[in-house]
Amino acid sequence: MQSRQWITGALAGVAMVLGISGASAADVPLYHDKGFWSQQFQVVGDAAGEKTGVRIVQNSYAPPEQYKAFVQSSIASGSPPDLFTWWTGQTMNELVATGQVAPLDDVWEKLVASGEYDQSTQDLFKVDGKTYAVPFSVARWVVLYNKKMFADQGLSEPKTWEELMAAADKLKAAGITPFNATVQEGWRGFIWFSELMIRTDPEAYKGLFNGTVAYDSPAVEKVFQLWSDMYAKGYFTDPRSNEEPQDFARGKAAMYLIGEWGEGLVDAAGLKPDADFGAFIMPNMDPKLPSAVVVEAGPMVVSVAGKEKPDIMTALNFWTSVDGANVWSKASGNFIGNTKADAPNPTVAKISADMKTNNTVAMQRWWEAVPPDLQGELVAELNGFLLNPTMDNAKMIMGRMQALNADYWEAKQ
Amino acid sequence: MSALSESDQKLLERIGTDRIAMRERKTRRRNFATALLFMAPALLLVCGMLLYPVLFNIWLSFTDWRKFKGLDTFVGFQNYKRLFGQIYFAEAAFNTMIWVVASLVVPVILGLGIAILLRGVRFENAFKNLIFLPRVLAPTAVGVIWFYVYAPTGLLNYLLSLVTGETVSVGWLYQANTVTPAIIATHVWQTVGIVMVLLLLGLSAVPRDPVEAAQMDGAKPWQTYFHVILPILTPTLVVVTIISVLAGFTAFDLLWVMGSTYPSQRTLSLVVFMYFEAFQKGGWAFGGAIAVVIGVLVLLVTWIQALLQARAERMVR
Repeated sequence: MQSRQWITGALAGVAMVLGISGASAADVPLYHDKGFWSQQFQVVGDAAGEKTGVRIVQNSYAPPEQYKAFVQSSIASGSPPDLFTWWTGQTMNELVATGQVAPLDDVWEKLVASGEYDQSTQDLFKVDGKTYAVPFSVARWVVLYNKKMFADQGLSEPKTWEELMAAADKLKAAGITPFNATVQEGWRGFIWFSELMIRTDPEAYKGLFNGTVAYDSPAVEKVFQLWSDMYAKGYFTDPRSNEEPQDFARGKAAMYLIGEWGEGLVDAAGLKPDADFGAFIMPNMDPKLPSAVVVEAGPMVVSVAGKEKPDIMTALNFWTSVDGANVWSKASGNFIGNTKADAPNPTVAKISADMKTNNTVAMQRWWEAVPPDLQGELVAELNGFLLNPTMDNAKMIMGRMQALNADYWEAKQ
Repeated sequence: MSALSESDQKLLERIGTDRIAMRERKTRRRNFATALLFMAPALLLVCGMLLYPVLFNIWLSFTDWRKFKGLDTFVGFQNYKRLFGQIYFAEAAFNTMIWVVASLVVPVILGLGIAILLRGVRFENAFKNLIFLPRVLAPTAVGVIWFYVYAPTGLLNYLLSLVTGETVSVGWLYQANTVTPAIIATHVWQTVGIVMVLLLLGLSAVPRDPVEAAQMDGAKPWQTYFHVILPILTPTLVVVTIISVLAGFTAFDLLWVMGSTYPSQRTLSLVVFMYFEAFQKGGWAFGGAIAVVIGVLVLLVTWIQALLQARAERMVR
């Protein structure tokens, strides 16, 4: 009896290690690299099990490099996972080029027809006219602002670029640094660069990603000049801080350009959403430009083989449904673009309303849009600007960025 | 009883010799089989965990193995050609050399100095434990701790502010002239303990006679150290330098943790460069080529060190 128990225990242990604990015929594995959301993914998975009889079982791989290597090698060997998370932009293009992920246009047709999702959300996952994913997150990049600081200076949410700059001047005159921006964790250098590109020349911004616009072009130089002038006026915080959300919560800056997911970090640091801070989409420098916002979208993709499995599609349909979106937003604070679902927080609700009013278009985030082979090197150069924001340095950085960019596109031809 | 003819005698002798030789061969074979059996676990381990991966890596460096692609395309020296034409390769190789030299010189001189100073002092063991302590910490943890020590609002700037009486806010890990020395200083802090322990062991094995003879001949303490103790300590010093050089070549953790926010990849070493290319960009074959270059460099340096060691041992004898 004892030995039987031991064997059963050992088998259960092996099953747990393999991530197949409690597996049944109706279990659908979901592979991802977001270890910090493992529990939250499972909450939705369990809800799917209760509602549809098909339970999603999350399988977390970390860090992202290992996860990417796992998916890439499984695709190279012709057996990708049925359901897994990925990245949008060029990283998605590479995945689609393998021919091993399935188009989901039929799914999207129903989602858009039901009014639950906007066409612009579907567009975030399109490659060459076909849609290859559904979202597990749709985070808009917005300006969080400290309501008390704004009120003390008699300021309201800026609607135009002039109002934004006037607010910055007034805050600065009162001894408050207007904007929070750092090189924390080595990836944040692109945030203000891409935002200023969109606010000044959105078409040039798009051209950066297919090699048609150079990083030393006049459009880019204009952005660096603007950015450098803002630094010269003392608009930004010390870029060497490693506590960006905490700095905003401590009042080191009045405004903080960040993805909507940053709300939770600021909340945890002590400022309460809606009561202590609000959010707005940064206005364009040229008022004639269409209202736009950077969107960081997290895609969930299905393999060609997975598309043929009814359980996989049942799980996917639950994920995108109002019920699924509500469970996910409650558990993780993430918005997946379902307009009929509850907004996970006041920031998302406010930004969704603003986008509807202004017909705001979604722009892909620089990080996802740039070729993956260039991400690290280019963002390192942009970090270099934050640490030495002079035009002399900017010109050197522009030259180096363009050299890398040109090499990449030349090699592609 | 007739005596054997000369030819028969020779035949018998030959048969006897052959039998003995056969028996010896059999014994040798049996001994070899027994030895092989005893060595099998270690051999399997070396072949499976070292030899096979090394050979596999060399082979893959001649393929086009990268994200979404298999191992089936042979590309010759293409990865090596691309590597030597890369702008970051020269920078990474230069940084690695700085690391190797610094890892060799600073911990050895400091370790030797501390070992000599600590011998026989009061609380010797307490001091030794204190200096050795950083060695037991994981390099990643050390990197995180020192990342905050070097922060603009970190401990180092705070202490400098106390000393100077002015607010010091140097971004040690954010400036070209301080980032590499700052990370190397952390590396030295962590490795000097093991160097000191090894050298203390070497010092304790130095025989008293030649030292006493030198003292009786009127040699001053520094002359005794330079002309008597150091030559005897040479084999230990060579071992220490090999360990230090390898530590310099394989430096990764500290650079990864402390150098990640520094722009323009100025802190890039060959190992970090390999990780970037292989795992962040999915260029596994290209990363393999970088690994081969690192391996060749390490072999070359350790071979030179082995030659020097042999020479030093001959001098001591």
